[in-house]
Amino acid sequence: MAYGNSSSSARDCDGVSTLRPWLATAARLLLGVVLVVAGAIKVPDPAAAMRAVRAYQLVPEALVGPVAFGLPVLEIAVGLALVAGVFVRAAALASAVMLVVYIAAIVSAWARGLQIDCGCFGGGGQVAAGQTAYPGEVARDVGLLLVALALARWPASRFALGGRPGSYAEMEHSDVR
Amino acid sequence: MSGESKREAARQRIAEKRAAEAAAAAAAARRRRTVVGGVVAAVVVVIALVVVVVVQTRRTSTSDDAAAPTNTSGNGYVFTVGSADAPVTMDVYEDFQCPNCKNLEDNSGDTIDQLVAAGTVKVDYHGMAFLDTDENDDYSTRALNAAAVVASEAGTDAYETFHDLLFANQPEEGGSGLTDDQLVAYAEQAGATGQTVETDIKNLVFGEWVEKAEDQASKDGVTGTPTVFVDGTALDDPTNATPADITAAVQAAQQ
Repeated sequence: MAYGNSSSSARDCDGVSTLRPWLATAARLLLGVVLVVAGAIKVPDPAAAMRAVRAYQLVPEALVGPVAFGLPVLEIAVGLALVAGVFVRAAALASAVMLVVYIAAIVSAWARGLQIDCGCFGGGGQVAAGQTAYPGEVARDVGLLLVALALARWPASRFALGGRPGSYAEMEHSDVR
Repeated sequence: MSGESKREAARQRIAEKRAAEAAAAAAAARRRRTVVGGVVAAVVVVIALVVVVVVQTRRTSTSDDAAAPTNTSGNGYVFTVGSADAPVTMDVYEDFQCPNCKNLEDNSGDTIDQLVAAGTVKVDYHGMAFLDTDENDDYSTRALNAAAVVASEAGTDAYETFHDLLFANQPEEGGSGLTDDQLVAYAEQAGATGQTVETDIKNLVFGEWVEKAEDQASKDGVTGTPTVFVDGTALDDPTNATPADITAAVQAAQQ
């Protein structure tokens, strides 16, 4: 029985299936590090973070502070979960939601002709005319969104602290017996 | 089928059943751990959110005793040049390091000065400072601080002169900015002299006020420089505004 079991999972684990957990690990680290860095960079200068949020002209003044100070916390929390490999699917979905919101905000600023920096990695607020970088900012966030969605679809990865039933770590444990 | 093989089959069924039960129990335990872990993580994140929002809000609530320049008007972040009863008001938002603002000043600065001299227009200058870099040693902030020092010590006409001098001699963007000594020299040229001018420029005495001025511009909804409002109406493409565009906008505002 033990023999039959391990041979069937060996079949599961060759080809794409061998590579997939490693790709998922790479996706986790990429998204996680980007989010942690993006969040941490906004903490030291709260006034700049508020200006960055205000520049979008999307949230009322009373909410500018909470949004400017709260988003970095969420980014760091989600990023740490991805790096550690706990609640990977939930964290991947959360980052996808955040990225969709960011993309929508940048596109709306672009469409309204605002001249702002997205403030994605600190900074933000108004920039001189012709200094905007909307296409690049949107392209980067769309790329990250695709990574997040793929990770939500295939969350099982190597070097993850947490495991879900049927995840790669789980499968490996049951095989090792 | 022999009795032996029947017993073998029964043993196997029992073993399978036990294995299934064990797996189910392990899965349930795992689910419990996940739920507990999830709840704990959510609570930690919510607490962190609240703490950070409170701490950051406290950090941004600016002290009211920060040094502020005199000779300001309106909300305290405006330097008004020209006759108070001029029929048209121009609000001009500029950063001393912004090349497009220099463009505006080069093209139409003289026209604006003439309209002010004629008593047709008063100009509300709103300084901004968002082009600070390490390379220029935070030139935007140093320049606006120096301009505020000039206005405080020598009045808004001196501010206007200093403003024109800084745009005429604007350092290259990405360059090293003007030095504090150069700012002091231009201040002197604009009519602001004395030891106070020099120390206030070098000590960045209105540094916190400059930050608040930047916040104020952001609250005014200004998202780029130069931004020009003629009696509240935004001027199209102020960077490339010709003297004729300025005159036309002022005339339109008078009707």
